[in-house]
Amino acid sequence: MPIEVVLLFAWMLVIAFLAFIACTFEDLESDMGSQSNPNSQVQLAAQVGQVNRFFNKAISGEPLSNAMYCVTAGTIAWLLLRQFEPLVPGEEWKAAVLAIPIGVLAATMINMIFSTTAHCGRVAGQKRFQQPIYLDVLYGHLIPIGAHAFMTTLCITCIAYIQSNIGTLSGNPALNHPFALPLLGFIWGITVGAIGSSTGDVHYGAEREFQDRPFGEGKRVVYHGKITRYAECGVRTQKDIAGFCAKFGGPVTGMTFGLIILFENWRSMVGMQLGGFLPALPAFTATGDMAAIFGIVLGLLIVAALMVGNLVFVKWVRKKYGPFVGV
Amino acid sequence: MEPVLMILIVGYVVIGGLLASLGAHLLPVGGAPAAMGTATGIATGTVQIMLGAVMTGLFTAASVATFSDSLLLVSLSGAVGATVMMCVVMFMANILYAFGCGIVPVSGRVEVDPITKEPQSPYKTPQTDGHGVPNVVYISGTIGGFLAGFAGALMYYALLNYAHFSAGLAAIVALSIFVANAILAAYNIRGTIEGFHDPKFKRLPKALISSFAVSLLCGIVVVLAATILGGAL
Repeated sequence: MPIEVVLLFAWMLVIAFLAFIACTFEDLESDMGSQSNPNSQVQLAAQVGQVNRFFNKAISGEPLSNAMYCVTAGTIAWLLLRQFEPLVPGEEWKAAVLAIPIGVLAATMINMIFSTTAHCGRVAGQKRFQQPIYLDVLYGHLIPIGAHAFMTTLCITCIAYIQSNIGTLSGNPALNHPFALPLLGFIWGITVGAIGSSTGDVHYGAEREFQDRPFGEGKRVVYHGKITRYAECGVRTQKDIAGFCAKFGGPVTGMTFGLIILFENWRSMVGMQLGGFLPALPAFTATGDMAAIFGIVLGLLIVAALMVGNLVFVKWVRKKYGPFVGV
Repeated sequence: MEPVLMILIVGYVVIGGLLASLGAHLLPVGGAPAAMGTATGIATGTVQIMLGAVMTGLFTAASVATFSDSLLLVSLSGAVGATVMMCVVMFMANILYAFGCGIVPVSGRVEVDPITKEPQSPYKTPQTDGHGVPNVVYISGTIGGFLAGFAGALMYYALLNYAHFSAGLAAIVALSIFVANAILAAYNIRGTIEGFHDPKFKRLPKALISSFAVSLLCGIVVVLAATILGGAL
């Protein structure tokens, strides 16, 4: 197999690994700052008399806020790359090593500013329910939120950088993705947020927020707002929650995004290889069409496997757990 | 610009918009209650999960559009990309519900699963509207993801090859039209929907009418932009 093709597959695996890290940290960042759907309960808690020490950060839906951070990071990195790359001809990676972290740092600072205003604004609005703004909660959570957000945005910006240069990196510039770095950051920012919101929230919302309620059942409407306020030791803050969710919810969420990126890139690459498109690249010919057809067929096979997998899994879970026996 | 191209652009944008609206109604959206296991479906909003799925599809479709000029192949690549995203998300959500929270996937809207004929109500927690992603919901979500991805990639192809937008602009415009239709669908859904077996699915015709109007307007704006600005895009 030509070295270009091997490199292409190797970079694909690097992207999948980065995606795993990105989404794990994205979920943990939303747990650390209590963003997204389960935050409705933190919001409700004070209103039903449950004064709490939770961090209440609802900047927007996770996809949109992550898209904002990733686009900011991507745009700054892209601008810096254009400035730095002519300075190091032949060794453009040196420009990336400097430009990407600077862009991500700027995005992280924006995240921390938004976290501060969102938390203070939300909790100040709950004054009538006697919910105080605990300053130690505010100060103590900003750095962990920033650290988690930095990891997410860094990984996504790296993915966008690799994908927009994947052809150049593997020796075939025609294979570079047609989208620019900031647009790829936008795409994966939205997707990482959508997955973090739809998968990862469950472990925080359905389990950790209601840990003093019976395990193994959906949380009833009467429980809403009555969140678990006491930790294993002392009063619970988000720091206890992120530690708990890092054991299961975070990695599963990371695996979701990692699998999606892996499947998507894998089926395209294998389709190209099977269609005879690599390494000759005869675009807009029957060979190009064959590469697309192989990619689509492989994708459909993955979908079929997942559907059967879900069918078997649901059947197994229902048999294993049995009907509802509580009251 | 030739009149045939104008009609093609408007036509494909309208078809894309209508498919987007139909796809949004098929996706199982549980919203905030689903994150607490109080409602069936995916624990996020309609627009957010749709955007995530379509973005993933569009990424692959844009790659395919660099080496294939077949409308069907580019659109199908996008459709399969979005379907893969939805399937993985729903499957992993089930794993998280089952192993993280000990919750069985169950539908709150039907007594018996219309496809697998499994009973639903004995497994449901009282005072909830179902939880997890049961089989009928999973299949509905898969179809919804396919249609949504197809719609996004179809609009991208039309804007790229007929309106001659650059790849980045075509993606942004296709997504913008898509978001408008998804938000209209979200208004119609009002919170949560399980899929084609949900009573709320009967509200679909009204959403299709408004989607048609919005997509037609978007198509005309795209044609105007492409005609007036010409090759500057």
